[in-house]
Amino acid sequence: MLRPVSNFFSKNRNYIPLMSTAFLALAAYGIGAYFFAGMRNPQVFFNLFRNSSFLLISGIGMTLVILTGGIDLSVSGVVALTSVASAVLLREGWNPWGVILLMLAMGMTLGALMGSSIVYLKVQPFIATLAGMWFARGMCFFISDNVVAIDDRVFQILGKTKILIPGLTELAVKQGNPAPYISIPVVVAFALLIIVIYVAHYTRLGRTIYAIGGNEGRNEQSARLMGLPVDRTKMFVYTFNGFCSALAGLSFSLFVASGHGLYASGFELDVIASVVMGGTMLTGGAGYVFGTFFGVLVLAVTQALIQFIGTLSSWWTKIVIGVLTLIFIGVQTILANRKEGRQNLPATSALVAARRRQQRLAFGIVALVLIGIFSFSRFGLASQTETTESAQCEIKPFREEEAASLITDGAAIVYNRTAGPECVDELFAIYPDGRVTGNDGVNSVEEKVDPAEVEQALVQISDEYKWFTDAIYGRYLTPCRQCFAHYVSISYQGQEKTVSQVDGTASMPAGYTLTLAVIRSLLPDINPAP
Amino acid sequence: MKTTARPAFTWRDITESRLFFPILAFSLILLFDFIFIPRFFVIENRDGNLHGSLIDIFRNGSTVMLLAIGMTLVIATGGVDLSVGATMAIAASVAGILMNPSALNNEVFFVTDPNYTFQPLWIVITSALLVATLCGLWNGALVAYMRIQPMVATLILMISGRGIAQLITNGLRVQITYKPYAFIGQGWIILPFSLYLVAIVLVLTWFMTRKTAIGMFIESVGINFRSSFYSGIDEKRIKLLVYTFCGFCAGIAGLVASSNVRTSDASNIGLTTELDAILAVVIGGTSMSGGRFSLLASMIGALVMQAITQSMYAIGVPAFALQAIKAVVVIFVILLFSEQVRSFFQRISTQKKEV
Repeated sequence: MLRPVSNFFSKNRNYIPLMSTAFLALAAYGIGAYFFAGMRNPQVFFNLFRNSSFLLISGIGMTLVILTGGIDLSVSGVVALTSVASAVLLREGWNPWGVILLMLAMGMTLGALMGSSIVYLKVQPFIATLAGMWFARGMCFFISDNVVAIDDRVFQILGKTKILIPGLTELAVKQGNPAPYISIPVVVAFALLIIVIYVAHYTRLGRTIYAIGGNEGRNEQSARLMGLPVDRTKMFVYTFNGFCSALAGLSFSLFVASGHGLYASGFELDVIASVVMGGTMLTGGAGYVFGTFFGVLVLAVTQALIQFIGTLSSWWTKIVIGVLTLIFIGVQTILANRKEGRQNLPATSALVAARRRQQRLAFGIVALVLIGIFSFSRFGLASQTETTESAQCEIKPFREEEAASLITDGAAIVYNRTAGPECVDELFAIYPDGRVTGNDGVNSVEEKVDPAEVEQALVQISDEYKWFTDAIYGRYLTPCRQCFAHYVSISYQGQEKTVSQVDGTASMPAGYTLTLAVIRSLLPDINPAP
Repeated sequence: MKTTARPAFTWRDITESRLFFPILAFSLILLFDFIFIPRFFVIENRDGNLHGSLIDIFRNGSTVMLLAIGMTLVIATGGVDLSVGATMAIAASVAGILMNPSALNNEVFFVTDPNYTFQPLWIVITSALLVATLCGLWNGALVAYMRIQPMVATLILMISGRGIAQLITNGLRVQITYKPYAFIGQGWIILPFSLYLVAIVLVLTWFMTRKTAIGMFIESVGINFRSSFYSGIDEKRIKLLVYTFCGFCAGIAGLVASSNVRTSDASNIGLTTELDAILAVVIGGTSMSGGRFSLLASMIGALVMQAITQSMYAIGVPAFALQAIKAVVVIFVILLFSEQVRSFFQRISTQKKEV
């Protein structure tokens, strides 16, 4: 009875990863729609594409690179560089269309540079593109340190134009929903997808790309011996990926309407993961461009699900994507090993046994992972019922003026703490005479501590932790949602210094942490009024 | 004893030594510092301990040096381990949470008592290293037994490892105030304590690879794993060993890094250090396709990376823009090593001789 099924699978073995990804994406969306009414809204479905248009664009280019057996880690750098450079050029008043063309040219140039070092200088793709990423990311900060907003009219039109879906508008209006729409980058991404599918599967160039990849570089040699233009094709692939990265960068900056050098960190991993999930072999030579579309969809659905569950933190996305990548690579490996096994006809019993053991191990690991996911989902649901506190809080700005007035009133230390797990906004002032006042905007508190203790703390802060030297500097980062943001003003022996910083980052000076610890030990709790 | 006609050290011997290029690069950077940065080479004596910019290069470079030891062996087998940064974060999170578990409940975020720890130090260190070693074992199993490409296999842990670390610390940055732990990264016994750690690991590794057959096995697996298999080397076990060891080294590096900033910061500890470590090994002259390796050259490679960082900071290049300069240096170094350029130079020198 199982024979037709197994026949079907063995005939269409190449499509298995593709089909399983498509199935996974749809199943995940279905489960989400079953549990969360919000996910049934058609706009949520189309938002999957709107939120991941840049991922799809970049994934298309990456698929070609991976098909030739290479890899491109520079995409996130190029995306960030594009966002910063275009934002700054627009601020300088350049023509927006000129900026777009320039950015695409820049991406292609970077891609061509990396490609030529890979092809002609025989640098490993991994290293060359890594250097490319560092270079691009570093250049962002030479251009601008800060977030640059994009308020150009053409860019706004491109980013915010709603393209209604024909046929769905009436349906949605009938149900009382606003008409679902997609954005221009989505259309661009789909157009690119169709073009690249055509190129990859129906042209000579595409066949050369497939011929180069796979078999640990041996196929490249045979392609060369067959007289295929290997070097030219590889150059094309890397240049094209540079183009795709720049295009992804443009659609990313349309999406966020600003540019900054820290945008899209870790983006290349998402892209690679979605290509792998789409069924493309990382060794190259096998896979489908269309599969990448489903890979991107899986990623988007995962993110949407985690957002909808709400209590799960964003890092679960990373874990889930890692696990999914592992499963797909595991499946690929098993399929590849089987194929190899068929080719090696004189298989001794020892080899067969070894392969069996290998397969059992692989299945075991996959099973373990599945159990892991299962227990995770139960844990996730359990935590959902336990905690109901809102995960996000609005970070309030520092009360700088209030702090300054407190210092002029004679306070020695003014300490403002915002955000954190409970979204506090507390402002404390410690006076040299031991008086400590505090308020969180609603309630206030006043307490006396030993003046000697305050003096001791001040001595410790200024002498031991070198508060008034350059060792303590302010670096404001956007606080993560469970971290506190601190603002400290200290006035001691005629010296005055104010530092604002988010706590706990690795780049924070050690003395700053200890200073905060000293200050915190003096503070009373602000209890809400009963 | 008759002296041979050939002197013991010729110029050729020196230039063809594996250490020549890394040392040349390192001294070029130091020369740059000597010219452009005042007081760079001043070493102060504070309470019998040595402080100074030069010492700082060694101290801050100790994490990359530790990673480079493990990475050299992995790269020598023809693999690569991208997950060391994530492994560092995992080890640091385990250590942080064992010392200050109250951070999990969002309370006592600031434990100020420098003598407070939840578990004794040896448990903290052992379990952190154990978890890191397990991470390495996992990578090794994927590479050796499931035959997944090393880059891909370790990419999985690179993606999800940081998530796991954040899971352990509940997404918080756990403050570490326990004094004895801080000694790992910040302590000094004349020289920074972390340097002694590097020295111990380096000497042990050197002994294991050069005084036993393991080093030769690693090289032979890197050159051709199939023929190593046929000549009776259990290449799978060798691969498992090097990845596990790399995880262990990353664990120590994680402890040093977290004690250095007195925080277990799951999202920032070891971020992009895997790249530094790989480049340190590449600068050290070990080929990415495997084969012969030199631990000492990798160490100097790590110092080169750190010296670049430190000198750029000293002349006021912002931290993020530094990456661009690093990239240029790396490309330059790699081009120097590439066969095309080398053969070009060889051609020139042979032409000269013919003339």
